[in-house]
Amino acid sequence: MNSFDVSLLLSGQYHDWLVSGFALSIKLALITLVIALPLALLVAVLRLAPLAVLRAVGVVFVEAIRNVPLLAHMLFWYFGAPEVLPEPLKAWLYERDVEAASAVIALVLYTAAYMSEDIRSGIRSIPKEQMEASRALGFSFLGAMRLVILPQALRLTVPPLISQTLNLWKNTSIAMVIGVAELMYQAQQVESASFRGFESFAFATGAYLTISLAITGASAWYHHHHPVRSA
Amino acid sequence: MMLKRLMLLVAGALSLVPLSPAHADQLQDIKKKGELACGVLGTDEPFSFIQDPASRALVGYDVDLCNAVAKSLGVKLTLKQLAVSARLPELQQGRVDLLAASLTHNKEREALIDFSLSTFITGQKVLVKKQSGITRLDQLAGKKVLTVKGSTMEQNIKKAVPTAVIISFDNSPQAFLALQQGKGVAYVNDETSLIDDFSKLGPVAKDYEILPHNLSTEHLALGLKKGEPAFREQVNKVLRDLEATGEAEKLFTRWFGPTTKMKFPSRPFKLETDKID
Repeated sequence: MNSFDVSLLLSGQYHDWLVSGFALSIKLALITLVIALPLALLVAVLRLAPLAVLRAVGVVFVEAIRNVPLLAHMLFWYFGAPEVLPEPLKAWLYERDVEAASAVIALVLYTAAYMSEDIRSGIRSIPKEQMEASRALGFSFLGAMRLVILPQALRLTVPPLISQTLNLWKNTSIAMVIGVAELMYQAQQVESASFRGFESFAFATGAYLTISLAITGASAWYHHHHPVRSA
Repeated sequence: MMLKRLMLLVAGALSLVPLSPAHADQLQDIKKKGELACGVLGTDEPFSFIQDPASRALVGYDVDLCNAVAKSLGVKLTLKQLAVSARLPELQQGRVDLLAASLTHNKEREALIDFSLSTFITGQKVLVKKQSGITRLDQLAGKKVLTVKGSTMEQNIKKAVPTAVIISFDNSPQAFLALQQGKGVAYVNDETSLIDDFSKLGPVAKDYEILPHNLSTEHLALGLKKGEPAFREQVNKVLRDLEATGEAEKLFTRWFGPTTKMKFPSRPFKLETDKID
């Protein structure tokens, strides 16, 4: 009874639970990444926009989200926010996978807030004379951003963005508080159903570690092949 | 080392005490004594508790059952208040004749003591909104069902309705909130918790309903010393008589019925079996 039962992880019902949780965690992370990255870029540009109103929107977004724990975001987007929707829309949503949808919204906003700060730092590291020169040559603000500043800035931003992706991957585990059956949720389920907590959490740890190391590896690879050049 | 020696000493001392003094029959002894010693918890409303702090009298469902047994024997009832963990030892050592102490009848305990017919049967149940139109468990197939993470409820609802989509939360208030918001059609918990949640709903409680079906059952019974068939038969006869005369129904209504805090709409069991699952 006290020995480590590997067979539990290799096949059978508990294996299926854990693998489905793992798959859902990966799905959550990927969907979030795909939506959060462009949103982060938008917010970063907003924060550097020439118009004060746009800059204010960017600041409010980042500070409002970054200063609240992810757990609170999860609970808010699941228990709080959908309640203000009109009744028919709410009923429609609640019949579907509102748990996963709320988790993705919370993760997207949280990740985008952090990523936008990294991107903004990247942009600010490009000497401001480049923007001035571009504008002097007749580029619009967006044109200068798109053609001159961002191509250089994003390259600098890749390592911190990979680090944020690593955080995102680990943060998917918080979705279990709103009943999303991701990896941590399933590990707990296996533990309570089989009392084999050691095995199930070993699986979860291994799975998180594997993906995290893969992300770290990607970061190292990128750094090696595209070293940061001083502007 | 010290501890080991101490334990040996205690074990040695205990072996000198005769474990069970020879006696003919507990039923005869009780009649001869003219007194039935009944062990109750006294802290478990409405099974046994102190209702009126001035008189400090113990009352409740369990107490009434003790009364019925004493009356049938024509003896005086003495109530003894016991701690939960002291129940079985007190009975085994003969300091009480009968346990009426919210005692769950289970297989493990059958090795130690005997049980009467089940005096209270409760279990895990399902709470739904009335407007969902759900009245039977099989209607939950394919629907979202909310419960508490890591509980036996999850496993039991999965067993009862394999296709239900079970969504579990860290605690029962969260699961209950999700039901109120309509994020699932049903909420599973043990009946006492459901009734507690129910009472917190206030006026909107009328929109909710607890389905009568039990997902799992827990049998409470009176505990008796092992190997006293005459006394056990007497106790069971009293319980069967209570059932036959409708007195059992009255007792239930008095402590659990619609006018009490527990607000059970009806009695979901009868005093008729000592079988457990």
